[in-house]
Amino acid sequence: MIVRSTKLGLDEKERFMLFLIAPAAIVLACFEIIPILIGMNASFRDWSLVNPQRTWVGLKQYVAVFTDPVFLKIVLPNTFLLMTASVGLSLAFGLALASLLNRPFFGRAVVRTIILLPLTIAPVITATMIRWSFNDQFGVITNFLSYLGLADIGWLSDRWPSFALVIMTDIWIWTPWFTIILLAALQGLPPEPFEAARIDAATPWCIFRRITMPMLRPVIIVCVLIRAIDAFRTFDQVWILTGGGPARSTEVFSVYTYVLAFVDLDIGRGAAAAGVGAIIMLFVGGVLYKLVNRSVEVSR
Amino acid sequence: MGMENKLARALLIGGAFGAVCSSTAAQAETALSICYINHPVQVANVAILQKWAIKQGVKLTKTVTSYTVYLPKITQMLTSGTNDQCDIIWNNDDWGQDLAHYLERLDDVPNARKVEVGQLEPFHTADGKTTAVSMTTTAGILFYRTDLIPEAELPKTWDDLVKISQTLQSEKKVKWGYVGGMSYTNTFFSFWWTLWNNNCDIYAPAYERDNKKLAADGWKPMIYSPCQVQTAEFWWDALNGKKISPLGMTTYSRDEANAIFQAGDAAFTVADTTFLGTFNNPERSSVAGKVGIAPFPVGPMSDGVRTWIDVWGWSIPKTLPSDRKTAAKKLLGAMLGDSDGQIEQWKQTGAPPPNTDVWPTLEKNDLTWRRLRMILFKPDHVHAAYYFRNWATVHKVYSDTLIRAMKGKREDIAATLKASSDAIRAGAVAND
Repeated sequence: MIVRSTKLGLDEKERFMLFLIAPAAIVLACFEIIPILIGMNASFRDWSLVNPQRTWVGLKQYVAVFTDPVFLKIVLPNTFLLMTASVGLSLAFGLALASLLNRPFFGRAVVRTIILLPLTIAPVITATMIRWSFNDQFGVITNFLSYLGLADIGWLSDRWPSFALVIMTDIWIWTPWFTIILLAALQGLPPEPFEAARIDAATPWCIFRRITMPMLRPVIIVCVLIRAIDAFRTFDQVWILTGGGPARSTEVFSVYTYVLAFVDLDIGRGAAAAGVGAIIMLFVGGVLYKLVNRSVEVSR
Repeated sequence: MGMENKLARALLIGGAFGAVCSSTAAQAETALSICYINHPVQVANVAILQKWAIKQGVKLTKTVTSYTVYLPKITQMLTSGTNDQCDIIWNNDDWGQDLAHYLERLDDVPNARKVEVGQLEPFHTADGKTTAVSMTTTAGILFYRTDLIPEAELPKTWDDLVKISQTLQSEKKVKWGYVGGMSYTNTFFSFWWTLWNNNCDIYAPAYERDNKKLAADGWKPMIYSPCQVQTAEFWWDALNGKKISPLGMTTYSRDEANAIFQAGDAAFTVADTTFLGTFNNPERSSVAGKVGIAPFPVGPMSDGVRTWIDVWGWSIPKTLPSDRKTAAKKLLGAMLGDSDGQIEQWKQTGAPPPNTDVWPTLEKNDLTWRRLRMILFKPDHVHAAYYFRNWATVHKVYSDTLIRAMKGKREDIAATLKASSDAIRAGAVAND
């Protein structure tokens, strides 16, 4: 017999389910939903951290962000370039490494552990390490490149070399993440299609392209979706390596927001920039989510 | 009564007595928390405060914060009115005006006003009360290698600086002539010391810091005035043409610049005097004992050497309970009255003693002090910041503009500078 609560119209099972999810829901509300609502509230106000008058200004802060040439011509292109290059190349390297590690060879466990190391280091530390490695006077790598006759590259002082360094650092950090997930996916694939292909004398490249890749596609797309959203908010590497410079030329979305909120101490404008980022990510995420769904349907 | 009972009673009475004593002691000890950054002069000054805290029965908790998050953290703490994080905070003239109305007035701290004329003004409230007491005067100075450049041949002009640098570089005595911080917030150590020594500034009239006067004059940016263009061209040549400075210097903070100078790879640098101790510390510098101080070389339009001097101070949040305010003021007063401690701070770091009453003692006994005083305090001064709300934004716009000019073509410098004129004016006008 189902016992229904008279007030809420919930049966015992539903109440038990609510009880189980309550702690997570409370944490989510306190540390995600309420701060987001406070942030959104700030984005409609003139809210300087130094003199928090909090005057309601409507959409003024959003208009300022959307009409800021730096945001439109530098920050957004840089952000999407970083997202595309980092996710694409990390995926390619991760897939290559996963395929390599999927074969038995002596010392595989050791290699697998070593490959995972970059993921265990905080991005701030990685970025600091790279910054000093490419320091124009004392850097180990710059000195080695000079020895090879490749001096005079402004690794941290010119726009494109420094942006390449940001992308490279991001790839270095995130390739192991792709590797470990794709390796797990590879190890979970059924052996029969591969055996059949080998009997039909298919080449390794043909097997990879026609069997492995289609079977991995759902995992790949979920990985890309998660990483793309994460890459959009990359901060540590850019802030430590270039600070958004030289002259704002490597600024990405999160650095732009940080500067508004914590250098200019303009919380209202900073919150609006974060809001704009959320809107863009909702759109990008929506498109990627549709792709995921379609891909999963296709692979079925 | 048995022996066992006597022992139990003695233990009970002793325990109760101990508990009462310890609780009384705990109540008597005031706990203060001091928030600052890991800078040599702050560390040295905190050591003086720590010494006096022990004498005054104060438990001083030291909270060291990264420079990059210090201002947002302290501002948030002050504006939210919390009083459980920092009882004494490091205060800088750059943001002294912004924070003044959240801070306790400190005129009643003994010796609070014993500073150079005009140095406490950035920390004043509207009615002229100070919200900070000095821990030192921060000022940039030209450091040079005494083993390479005789005092009589020190550069007087920018041209001299270039010629001496190139000579030393061609003789392979140093890798670089000059290094200095150039990235945002390190503007002082390259662009600005030359700007102020070329009869130039950010807004006209040059060297004025009274907002009313600047507003009356329309907050005119000097960003594309001939003196500014000349300054930018000097640095462009230093980096790209005459190569007396590394091309990567546009990204240097003072850390990178100091590291190169301390490694013996550069003949000159400009840094805060507070680094004199570090440069002459054999454990941290390969040029220890070979570092001298000199006046700034001046530009073609200069009418004389101009230094920047500003106070770094300690402040107390207004929202503290009165007992903690009193304890904090007493502690700061003790530091300002501690001549020996301040002289030790000077010897360790090269940071001028915060209390000017201590200066005559050094004047009598210390050759380096006499030279530093002559270089820094005799010439005209300028405040290194402007005192309006959006100053940090304007500073960043200025820094980005000059760095953009350094990365572009020499013939584009004037146009690059002019493109930022409106933004620099808007930053100031927004405060009116």
